[in-house]
Amino acid sequence: MGRRSDIIAGLGGATPALRRYARALCAGAGQAVADDLLQSALQSVGARIRSRDLRPADLAEARIETYATLVAFAEKKLAGAPGPASRHPPIVHGLASLGFDERAVLLLVSLEGFGYDAAARIVGATREAALARLMRARAALGAEGLRPVAPLEGGRRAASHLRVVK
Amino acid sequence: MTPSALIEESDLHALVDGELDPERRRKVEDHLLQHPEDAALVEGWRRQNAALRAAFEPVALETPPLSLREAAARPPAPPAGQGPIETGAIHWGRPGAAPRPARKLDDIRASRRRQALASTLLTLVAGATVAVAALLFLASRPPAQHPTLTIAATSYASRAGLTYATYALDGRPVEIDAAHGGELLAWLQERVGFARTPDLTGVGLRLLGGRVAPGVASPAAFLVYERDDGARVGLYFERADAGAAPSGQRGQGVSVIEWRAGGFAFVLVGVMAPDAMQAAAEAAAAAVVAVPPEAK
Repeated sequence: MGRRSDIIAGLGGATPALRRYARALCAGAGQAVADDLLQSALQSVGARIRSRDLRPADLAEARIETYATLVAFAEKKLAGAPGPASRHPPIVHGLASLGFDERAVLLLVSLEGFGYDAAARIVGATREAALARLMRARAALGAEGLRPVAPLEGGRRAASHLRVVK
Repeated sequence: MTPSALIEESDLHALVDGELDPERRRKVEDHLLQHPEDAALVEGWRRQNAALRAAFEPVALETPPLSLREAAARPPAPPAGQGPIETGAIHWGRPGAAPRPARKLDDIRASRRRQALASTLLTLVAGATVAVAALLFLASRPPAQHPTLTIAATSYASRAGLTYATYALDGRPVEIDAAHGGELLAWLQERVGFARTPDLTGVGLRLLGGRVAPGVASPAAFLVYERDDGARVGLYFERADAGAAPSGQRGQGVSVIEWRAGGFAFVLVGVMAPDAMQAAAEAAAAAVVAVPPEAK
């Protein structure tokens, strides 16, 4: 009993990382969409742990289950979601151009730091399939457009943007 | 890519992702020394990782809204249409007791509806009263001068001023000095998402080095320059939403010049004469939008 409530409380501490993943997975579709997805996933996992439908051995397992639930919810919800706005950095546009499966695995490994086994478990695939998605994602993302800031204008014009604050 | 017979592409990914045991890792690293094209692939993936972290790490640094922090601990809302708990209590409260007549239940429900209606009306009236009071109060005050613009826009400049006051005059103004420029650029690229150290020697300012500092909404970069006479100038930049116009700030004995370029807010801070600051800002603004002279 105590352990279940500890695990549920521990998920609150994992929220910032989950939120980062949700935002990246939405690839510019919007903060509200990402937060809604995460809230649904957290509520679902919390309810399943309370009802003993889900019996995670520890917080790490509950965390993996929450990522898995988030991925499952996002896959349904993000079909047809709007793409990123032009103000987003190139990497976000690159993410949005990837297939959902590729994006989910790439972000689990590259952004969240999961190992291949955990990432495969989260997306419900074999390790080989997850690795193949990761390789496809990296190949598709390429090195193009990864510079966060492209030179937008000439140096001469920049001076007109200066504002003497004090 | 040309993985050798022993090294496959998956090994290169595993190297980037820390999935190799030490022995295999050494073999793959040896392979990269002899196959620069594969080394370039690995470097590209590492840059992808750094770009992803730079774009989304700030999200993890924000404090999540309370609704998310407590979402797992809170049961989901009951489905719509579920009857009130009291209805069940009437039937189950006393074993063997006869259920109340349906007519009485209807009376209770009607009474609840009346209470709900009264409570709603009371809330509306109270809300209207507060709104009228607030309007009267606001109308009696002189209009503020673009309050939101001032609050939102002063933050970069004031944060840059604070950073300048904290670090620029410190005995150890920078974390990484200019002699380790490559390291500094890599650090800024990863944490701030933009790395450039403008050369301001043309206006008599020598780069001392830089550091990552707390920004307004995400990690910021702070570069420190020094003139021969010891005057120091700081160049601050952090990711900003493009479009919003910068505005004024009360400096404290220092000159502050702010501009936006390429989705970043830049602020030059220092105690030099205004024309010298202006020249330095123009040089810096030109340098940050120019194509980088070297790759790293």
